[in-house]
Amino acid sequence: MATHFKRKGKRLLGIDRQSAIRFFFGGNAMISILVLGAICLFLAREAVLFFPQHQRDLEVFRLTGQEYANFVIEEMDEFTEVKSLADQAFYQEMNEAYGIQRGLVDCYGALNDRLFDNGEDLIDELEDARDELDDADGEEEETLAQADLDGIQSEWDDFLRAELGKADRKTIDSFGRLGEKEWQELLDAMASWDPVEDEPPALVNDAKAEMTKGMAAFDAARMQIGSAGSELARLRSEIIKITTEIKTEAVADMSSAARKKALLEGSVNAATEEARASLKAQAEAITIRENFPYSERIKALEGSREKHEAAVTSLKSGMQAGVAALPTEFASTEVETLVSRIRERTPGLFEYLDTSLKESADWRYDEPVSWLSSVSSFFFGKDWVTNSSFHDFYGLLPLFTGSLLISIIALIVAIPFSLGAAIYVNRLAGPRQQNFIKPVIELIGAIPSVVLGFFGIIVLGEALRQTSQLEWLSWVPGFPMQERLNILNAGLLLALMAVPTIFTLCEDAINNVPSSFTEASLALGGSKLQTVMRIVVPAAISGIFAAILLGFGRVIGETMVVLLVAGNQIAIPDFGLGVGVITQPAHTMTGIIAQEMGEVTADTIHYRALFSVGLVLFTISLLINISARRIIKRFGLAA
Amino acid sequence: MVTTSPSDPMTELATPVESPAKASPSTKANNPNPIAEQDAMIEIDDVSFSYDMGKTNVLKNISFNIPAGKVTALIGPSGCGKSTLLRCLNRMNDLVDTSKVTTGQIRIMGQDINAHDVDPIELRKQVGMVFQKYNPFPKSIYENVAYGLRIQGIKNKARLDEAVEKSLQRAALWNEVKDRLNSSALGLSGGQQQRLCIARTIAVNPRIVLMDEPCSALDPIATARIEELIAELQEEFTIVIVTHNMQQATRVSDRTAFFYLGELIEYDDTTTIFGNPSVTQTEDYVSGRFG
Repeated sequence: MATHFKRKGKRLLGIDRQSAIRFFFGGNAMISILVLGAICLFLAREAVLFFPQHQRDLEVFRLTGQEYANFVIEEMDEFTEVKSLADQAFYQEMNEAYGIQRGLVDCYGALNDRLFDNGEDLIDELEDARDELDDADGEEEETLAQADLDGIQSEWDDFLRAELGKADRKTIDSFGRLGEKEWQELLDAMASWDPVEDEPPALVNDAKAEMTKGMAAFDAARMQIGSAGSELARLRSEIIKITTEIKTEAVADMSSAARKKALLEGSVNAATEEARASLKAQAEAITIRENFPYSERIKALEGSREKHEAAVTSLKSGMQAGVAALPTEFASTEVETLVSRIRERTPGLFEYLDTSLKESADWRYDEPVSWLSSVSSFFFGKDWVTNSSFHDFYGLLPLFTGSLLISIIALIVAIPFSLGAAIYVNRLAGPRQQNFIKPVIELIGAIPSVVLGFFGIIVLGEALRQTSQLEWLSWVPGFPMQERLNILNAGLLLALMAVPTIFTLCEDAINNVPSSFTEASLALGGSKLQTVMRIVVPAAISGIFAAILLGFGRVIGETMVVLLVAGNQIAIPDFGLGVGVITQPAHTMTGIIAQEMGEVTADTIHYRALFSVGLVLFTISLLINISARRIIKRFGLAA
Repeated sequence: MVTTSPSDPMTELATPVESPAKASPSTKANNPNPIAEQDAMIEIDDVSFSYDMGKTNVLKNISFNIPAGKVTALIGPSGCGKSTLLRCLNRMNDLVDTSKVTTGQIRIMGQDINAHDVDPIELRKQVGMVFQKYNPFPKSIYENVAYGLRIQGIKNKARLDEAVEKSLQRAALWNEVKDRLNSSALGLSGGQQQRLCIARTIAVNPRIVLMDEPCSALDPIATARIEELIAELQEEFTIVIVTHNMQQATRVSDRTAFFYLGELIEYDDTTTIFGNPSVTQTEDYVSGRFG
């Protein structure tokens, strides 16, 4: 009887058709999992290898004394920041208190330039003619020369009159410092101006004297502050020079074995006997040292500590005096604010200098670098500097801050739009509107990000900048914007990219709210809007939250737009501006990988650092996705 | 017509239209024991209703009056239109875009509820509804009951507390939930959830409570409690109940309307319908010969 129920069809290697199909589909799934696993492993390996390498790099940084130099560099940077405030205050005060005087001096300068440019030949001729008259011997020659000179002189007078006549006040006085009266006075004074003597008219000289006199106290204070740091600046360049030399040697030494090997190989393969000999000689000239004599070389820094201490002391006393000498009354509150900021920041700066000095005094070149500091200086490092002549820093913080700020802006903009659209489409719109709005929003996701980036550079960036320059919008923090490509611009474009994701998922979440809730609310006399806001949205809130999280995952991983539009300035934005921080340029984790990965040499520390950034990005995305899934699973509606 | 005081909310809906002076056109329904117009809370007058803009009518020329302060049961086999009629009474059918009352009028307290100046939101405040499947909101017990008042803009905590307690007591649920008013309503048993829904409905003090097979998802014990509740609530509200369960109809209702294929076959006192129906179809249905 068994023959009735026997399997039909051919079998290959003992596998029948049904099983073969099963293996095919199963195999597909398995391949994707294997590929994903391989990618994760590769990423993790390259990224984790960064840390030992970074540790060695930091070790060299310390052994060569560059770390010590860095103390001085950072001290100098802090000082320069305060110092530039003083300069800023000085120039602003000058413009405001002595606007007319400065205008006269500047306008004279501009007129002078123009006359020399346009009347170059004439002025040369005039000069020659005068020389000729001076050199003239005898009555006859003198008369001739005089006549010659008179001709040229009258020609010059005509030229001067014409030039002054057509001088455009708006171009010359571009800042609009002069009133009509001053402008006329300047032109009148210039009418008798002599180009050979090239002396400014008394009017201008007086203005200059008045301005200099008035600003003398401020200028002296400013200069005093400025020069307070000169000793430290000298020390800075001196130490940088010494330590960089040590490092260059040390690095050369480290690669000497490899270089020797390469030269020897080259000599074997060289074409001519001569080349062979020369390469061999070069190879033999390289001596391989087991250990680079850091302790020997670091002696070059001897005496630096004393100099450092003296420099900081002189900086502090110089600055103290300078700040004390700053005037107390100003033409405008803006200058006053600037100056008070200097006063406020000075104690902080001194404190910083003291701590830094103490730390640098405790600094030892041979102190081992711990594994932990390799990790923490990556995650909390404030600088990302590569290909520098001094030392390369791999700090994640500026990139992370940039990514985070841009994503937050994108979400703040995208959430209301997507949620509003989702509510409208799902609950309020008619079927026709639904059929139109949904695909259109989802189509936004089909715009290639490079096109969006292009749009951001050309259209949005320009529009934002022009808007920010409107007079009546100047109260907005960060306006007018200095940069066209900035966090705000990138955030707005990413918001556009996040809208389809958040919208679709929010719409799903709202759609999953059982209609029995809606019916119950309506039957109780609730309006459509009340039903949506009080019943539907709260019931869908977990789904909405998950949608927002996934939208966040979408924007933090986006690369092209931020690379094109964020401005790519690797620095932590200045949070001192408050909300205005968003008008600054920034760089991102995704952007840095895309930008630098193509140019690094494989297996170098820079290459591995980029992989580490990639791993951080991957981890963030993974966590976001996992938590979104959890939220949906845990709080999702049972219905 | 029911006499209404000037402050009666129904009069605020719109000015009542004159009800047609003539007696309703003769219907096929056997209606030997009509409710006098002055006793009627709801007058259904030659109503036809369609879900597809009038192409096919699922209710056909229905006419009968529902008395105030009584329980009226709508019975009939599946698809006979009884739930549709119920949902016409608070205009829940408005949610279906293509639905339409094709002929006739429904008057509640004398007011045509489909008149263009009637606001369905105001109507539903007076005509509450309890659904087949209990559907409390995913909120606390307290918030469920208070919801109807909150959306009317009542924020006064004392007033809300009072209304919640009173409604829960009227729904015979207070003693069971008074210690956990702030826990989720979804943690209650099915019967409790349905009583909560009733409490939620009566919290806004409607004139009429519509019940669409309120016990079909409940076990016999929970059903018995709801039926007791209906008997108690009858004193304060006019109740219209759709039911599949004929015993339930005999137990809770004063009047019964039997529907078949969109038509009203017979409408009379419940005892008459179940004891001595005048139409054979009714007799066949109530005795279980079909349906």
